[in-house]
Amino acid sequence: MAFLEIDGLKKRFGNVEILKGINVELEKGGFLVLVGPSGCGKSTLLNTIAGLEQITEGEIRVDGRAINDLHPSKRDIAMVFQSYALYPNMTVAGNIAFGMEMRGVPAAERQAAIDKVAKVLQIGHLLNRKPSQLSGGQRQRVAMGRALVRDPKLFLFDEPLSNLDAKLRVDMRIEIKRLHATTGTTIVYVTHDQIEAMTLATKIAVMRDGEVQQFGTPAEIYNNPTNIFVADFMGSPAMNLIPAKIDGNGNGLSVVLDREARQPIVLPIPGAPTGLAAFKDKSVIFGVRPEALTDPEGAERNGSNIATADCHIEVVEPAGSDTFAVTNLGGKGVVARLRADARIQPGTSTPLAFNLSKAVFFDPATEKRIL
Amino acid sequence: MSTVAETQIKLTPEHDARPGASVRSRLQDLLPKIVLAPSFAATIVFVYGFILWTIYLSFTNSKTFPSYAITGPRAYQRLWRWTFESDPPSSWYTSITNMGIFGFLYIGICLALGLFLAILLDQKIRGEGVLRPIYLYPMALSFIVTGVAWKWFLDPGLGLEQTLHQWGWTSFHFDWIKNKDFVIYTVVIAGVWQASGFVMAMFLAGLRGIDGEIMKAAQIDGASAFQLYRRIVIPLLRPVFLSAFIVLAHLAIKSYDLVVALTSGGPGGSAWLPSNFMYEFTFKRNEMAVGSASAVIMLMTITAIIVPYLYSELREKSR
Amino acid sequence: MSAVASPARQAASGVRARTLNRIVIYGLLALFAIFYLMPLFVMLVTSFKTMDEIQNGNMLSLPHAPTFAPWIKAWSEVCSGLTCVGMKGYFWNSIKMVVPAVLISTLLGALNGYVLTKWRFRGHTLVFAMMLFACFIPFQSVLLPMATILGSLGRFGVTLQNATGFNFGLGNSTVNLVFVHVVYGLGFTTLFFRNYYEAFPTELVKAAQVDGASFFQIFRRIMLPNSLPIIVVTVIYQFTNIWNDFLFASAYAGSGDVMPMTVALNNVVNTSTGVVEYNVNMAAAMIAALPTLIVYVVAGRYFVRGLMAGAVKG
Repeated sequence: MAFLEIDGLKKRFGNVEILKGINVELEKGGFLVLVGPSGCGKSTLLNTIAGLEQITEGEIRVDGRAINDLHPSKRDIAMVFQSYALYPNMTVAGNIAFGMEMRGVPAAERQAAIDKVAKVLQIGHLLNRKPSQLSGGQRQRVAMGRALVRDPKLFLFDEPLSNLDAKLRVDMRIEIKRLHATTGTTIVYVTHDQIEAMTLATKIAVMRDGEVQQFGTPAEIYNNPTNIFVADFMGSPAMNLIPAKIDGNGNGLSVVLDREARQPIVLPIPGAPTGLAAFKDKSVIFGVRPEALTDPEGAERNGSNIATADCHIEVVEPAGSDTFAVTNLGGKGVVARLRADARIQPGTSTPLAFNLSKAVFFDPATEKRIL
Repeated sequence: MSTVAETQIKLTPEHDARPGASVRSRLQDLLPKIVLAPSFAATIVFVYGFILWTIYLSFTNSKTFPSYAITGPRAYQRLWRWTFESDPPSSWYTSITNMGIFGFLYIGICLALGLFLAILLDQKIRGEGVLRPIYLYPMALSFIVTGVAWKWFLDPGLGLEQTLHQWGWTSFHFDWIKNKDFVIYTVVIAGVWQASGFVMAMFLAGLRGIDGEIMKAAQIDGASAFQLYRRIVIPLLRPVFLSAFIVLAHLAIKSYDLVVALTSGGPGGSAWLPSNFMYEFTFKRNEMAVGSASAVIMLMTITAIIVPYLYSELREKSR
Repeated sequence: MSAVASPARQAASGVRARTLNRIVIYGLLALFAIFYLMPLFVMLVTSFKTMDEIQNGNMLSLPHAPTFAPWIKAWSEVCSGLTCVGMKGYFWNSIKMVVPAVLISTLLGALNGYVLTKWRFRGHTLVFAMMLFACFIPFQSVLLPMATILGSLGRFGVTLQNATGFNFGLGNSTVNLVFVHVVYGLGFTTLFFRNYYEAFPTELVKAAQVDGASFFQIFRRIMLPNSLPIIVVTVIYQFTNIWNDFLFASAYAGSGDVMPMTVALNNVVNTSTGVVEYNVNMAAAMIAALPTLIVYVVAGRYFVRGLMAGAVKG
């Protein structure tokens, strides 16, 4: 039995269904990231786990016990908020101890717990300051300290890094990951940033319009997206989704990519998914991540399904660690990821290697993956 | 937005086993409403209930004491008749005419003067910290004190007129406060003196709230200072105009004390406003029904101004 | 000529124009300062003059021989109608009325604002709108029913007094006025706190809920300690309004030794027995004005700032 189980959870405001039957499970010590665009219901889902919002239907269990009717304070959870929600009238120590104070923990015990947490997070020197005297990163640490000190069964994080600048965000991300590794706590984490989701999670739930689109490990989500939405949302730069046609000759299927004023590219697909045969002579969406579309020298040598085609390069973006090249296929700009030192000029044609073992196909009608 | 008790919570077996806990948690859910209830109940009874009561009284023939037999809209018919009795003017005719003059001038001058002073004070003035409280302090005074002070200041025998005579301007003549045709304008002067500083503070805050980049952009576009104010700043202050108008309209309709203290009602009641009319008829002339009817008319007037304002404000906010 | 004016000359004329501009602006501001200060100045100097000097001297001149006698007389001897005991009793009447009324209405407003923003329920906007509308009604429209109710409560108080030896404050005009001012001040205090708490981060309330704080613990430990600006606004507003009220005071405590300050002042000024002692009247008016003036001088800055931050903006 999983540690956190969310079972058929629905949430309605009047006639509007915000959450449409969520089923998610998380093992003890796991790190679940709820990710999706704004308005997808991820924060509402987190709030229902916290008990800050009531649910309409379904059940939430932690460690085998239903908690969905309990008051937030009775659920044995701790939460880190987007704005940190530090009580401005209390010192850092007061903030960290407030929850224990509310539970009637004796002062000596509170002090010991504060000191312990302060040591873990290295905020000992801040304990007597007010939140207004702290920097963004320090506030973030205090907010985590307030959660940690409770030693709860479940940690909830609501977009905790979105108020930090880019560099600090990366640092704190690593910090959270380290904290998770050393303390072994169970975490549910909401973000709209797919990089945070990929780097932190043991399990990701990609959400849209109150529904879980896909639930799985980061690798599953990244490599085997179940539909166009997940494929497009996860990964940066995003997966290329190219309108294409499936062609079949005697010995197998191939994908045909139209080009402006040129011959279409025809790529054979040796290990094509079985479902693809039904799309012979029909349109599909051909999905290929930028790193699976690269210069022939940079392509995986031992990849069995590499096909090369000359492409007209429109834009070149040197990004330091990589060079991105944009070409036009199927009427869309398509991004290829080349080595940093790839010699390539905009306006010229250059061979690009398609790694077809990493390619995926979607049904344009249902937007679902063709398996 | 967390909506408490929006949904019925499904009772789990655990809850059934501990009915006490469920009662307690239900009580917790109800607590906010229990806290709000006394205030809301007081509003319902003492505002809306009493308004209905006053409306009821206006349809009786109550004189010194309330009588509760409905006798029809006689009080309104009398007020309606008095509305056109201009020669010699009825008390009601005087009251509503005064209300028109006072309301128009008081609100108009306060808005104009308040905006003017705010713009002057917004020119990076040294000593703003001293000037602002000087303009604002009259708002702290009661209408009674204001009335006493201005009564003295405008008294022909003691005040301004006398002072100017002593300084040699012997032809100066200013006896409005004793003149039944002009006494209402002294109420305007005292009223403007009291409230315009506050309006200034509202406009000043509005001016300070305008995005500096908009001003810079307009200057780069070549707007002169005058154009800047006329085309950019004043249109942006629209919400402040509206708020100030509402505050002033509501003060104007309530101005009872100022008339009493400044003019004692003026010669022959010539400075009365409807609020004075109501008080006098109800408590002094034993015409409770007529007094109530005039109160209802005052309420209707202010309702016609306030309700659309509140409606748009609250609707905007809930969006 | 002007089209080819040298840059130096242009700059010089620009400086001159700007200087002139500044002079006009400062001149106007000073003029208005005089306009606003004049009545207070006249009141103040008159209150320190002898009657002789008032009748023969100039209203604007400073007192030749400043005397505190008018102030002393106003405080302890001046006649209001036929009773000549000075303003001091009425001053304390006002204090006894203002302090509880301000405290109670502020506390209730804070609680109402807290519920209406952080514990919303269906129809909260309607409830707020109904309370808000109460701010704007002309009080004439509730004056009579309230007088009737207070009269009945007073009679009930007499009955209680006879039965139990204690009237529970019923029929006491100070208690009556406190009650009236609390009821009709609720709309304003609720408005102030609601608008302030509307901008107060809800995440703090959620965090406190997760921390296990109850409804009242959140209010006392999280909301109130962070409400100082709006408490200042509300207290000043209520204090000035209630202290300065004349309508309710004259309707429900309009005579005798229960009058609040404003009613007493009006009576003093309109008492026409004997020679009108303007200096004493002015001293009495100053005594009536001082509490609110002091509040404005001490805390007016916070009042305007706080009011602008939340309340009037809508």
